[in-house]
Amino acid sequence: MPEWYGSFGGAYVPETLVPALKALEEAWRTARRDPGFKAELARLSREWGGRPTPLYFAENLTREIGGAQIYLKREDLVHGGAHKFNNALGQGLLAKRLGKTRLIAETGAGQHGVATAMVGAKLALRTEVYMGSVDMERQKPNVLRMRLLGATVRPVDHGAKTLKEAINEAFRDWITNVQTTYYLIGSAVGPHPFPSIVSDFQSVIGKEILRQSKQAWGGHPDLVVACVGGGSNAIGTFQPMLRTPVKLLGVEAGGSGSGLAVGSASLTKGRPGVLQGMRTYLLQDAEGQVLETESIAAGLDYAGVGPEHAFLKESGRVEYTSVTDREALDAFHRLCRTEGIIPALEPSHALAEAMRRARDLPKTARIVVTLSGRGDKDLEVVAQHAPPG
Amino acid sequence: MPHLGETLAARRRSKQPSLLVYMMAGSVPEERFLSTVDALKTAGVTGLELGFPFSDPMAEGPVIQQAATDALRQGFHWPDLLRLLRASSQRLPCAVMTYLNPVLQRGEARALEELHEAGGSALILPDLPVEAARPFRALRRKEKVDTVLLASPATTPDRLALLVRRTEGFLYLVSRYGTTGAGEGTTPSTQGKEGELGPLVARAHELRPDLPVLVGFGVRSREDVERHRSSGADGVIVGSAVQTRLSTGRSPEEIGSFVASLLG
Ligand SMILES: Cc1ncc(COP(=O)(O)O)c(C=O)c1O
Repeated sequence: MPEWYGSFGGAYVPETLVPALKALEEAWRTARRDPGFKAELARLSREWGGRPTPLYFAENLTREIGGAQIYLKREDLVHGGAHKFNNALGQGLLAKRLGKTRLIAETGAGQHGVATAMVGAKLALRTEVYMGSVDMERQKPNVLRMRLLGATVRPVDHGAKTLKEAINEAFRDWITNVQTTYYLIGSAVGPHPFPSIVSDFQSVIGKEILRQSKQAWGGHPDLVVACVGGGSNAIGTFQPMLRTPVKLLGVEAGGSGSGLAVGSASLTKGRPGVLQGMRTYLLQDAEGQVLETESIAAGLDYAGVGPEHAFLKESGRVEYTSVTDREALDAFHRLCRTEGIIPALEPSHALAEAMRRARDLPKTARIVVTLSGRGDKDLEVVAQHAPPG
Repeated sequence: MPHLGETLAARRRSKQPSLLVYMMAGSVPEERFLSTVDALKTAGVTGLELGFPFSDPMAEGPVIQQAATDALRQGFHWPDLLRLLRASSQRLPCAVMTYLNPVLQRGEARALEELHEAGGSALILPDLPVEAARPFRALRRKEKVDTVLLASPATTPDRLALLVRRTEGFLYLVSRYGTTGAGEGTTPSTQGKEGELGPLVARAHELRPDLPVLVGFGVRSREDVERHRSSGADGVIVGSAVQTRLSTGRSPEEIGSFVASLLG
């Protein structure tokens, strides 16, 4: 379990959290070798979560684009409606193992909050979720879902009132209640060992893609594309493919794309720094103050990124790019109309870039896009924007 | 002004308790900040911690978070800190407390050199773990700026030994599970239980008898000060209790007499 990805990662936390992080590392080290733990995770993933998810050939979309074949990894079909389930279940079982009685989480789009609330209900752990008040407003259905599942949603009103502030508040709660509480972080971010634990639990996505592509056409995909907020669905997709010849592409949110705006594209527009326990790429000013970000997708609206992505960018193994709000919206509508699938706005960014690349590739090439979640939560946001002309 | 670490060590030797006050630089106009420093000096404060605002202060409670937001909104920058530090350190020994990222972006060597030139004696970074403190310690000889490490009630005995060995100037012992200002709030992130500090202080002194140990986070009353003293600590650090008065417009005299009442 690496603490460092090149010069990225680490555990830059207040001293009060150090013993808890060490205990977590130890719990994970033993759990991952425990057949009982693995069997329980596999059983609940299958029977409660609906795994494995299909690898689906988007035939109509492919025909419309007229280039490479586009396949979708259907994480939108996992219980709860997003890949966040994979990590929330795994860490929830770890929390039980550690004897904790209370779960806390942060959430941006609300999908991680919903997944944590489901796991809290299932495993009988009291659950409280921090969410920026701007995100509560734009992802209302998920706030209602969390409450139905028995979780308390705590609004966060500082700064931009989005994901970064929710993470800060969750850390403050954890520092205060670390003896009883498990911080179930929602992406491959934060101090060691969180990024590698989250990456391990999400790597089920990439493993299934490799197995399913072998079954479907007897080989690997040529190109695999995933959106990057904190980076959990992307690292889960890429991790099992790092030593294969598959070309890997991460897509960040470019926001409105106007002039000087940086959107939320930490890897493509940021510089290394330390935030929320990790050394990684950050959107920051010259003095190291972290900038306010903007994106139509609440789940991508974050100034940092998981440290493994920072490393994969520097090593050149993964290519990272960004897509604007408008391009993501167009891709959203196109998938709705061609395939009868309403995607979340986050993976709509990956989809937009995949469609662009498909045009320049031969019809024999195969692209897999991780469709990290479904779009029910985004209907109001989408309705506020004009449909494509 | 004498060096903060040396002042604290001398007071430990002569068994005089110390009291440091934390205030967020840039949260109020410079003139009022410095008049408050004067009043604190008159009240008998041993030294100052100047907070430099960071956008994401993970270990901070609502009062200091708000003070940081105020300072940043007013456009307070690193050169402003150096100017305020230069003026403050002519009145009292001074440390600077901020988070790692602003210092990294300045460059560790450059930041320490500038702090030293402005009269600063120490740097306190609550998100700098001992494992990452080496570059700062390596600069100590040249710049004479101590890198102060923090311990907490959660710290295990082995780790405490490491922190005591590596800290410079003094050991900052966090009093409770919680953020600054903890113990008074009503939400899960502002409550926080105090730890049993006596054994931690005793072990630190046993390992390094000359090392001052100061207790901070949530210190707001005479009773708190006495409780920490009777746990064997060499002094206390008062942050949110002063900042809340500063931020709500209390006069330097009022703040001075509040701190004098803590000293008894
Ligand atoms: C559907 C969906 N996809 C992607 C993300 C982005 O997170 P990550 O980069 O960790 O996968 C989110 C976050 O909320 C999400 O809800």
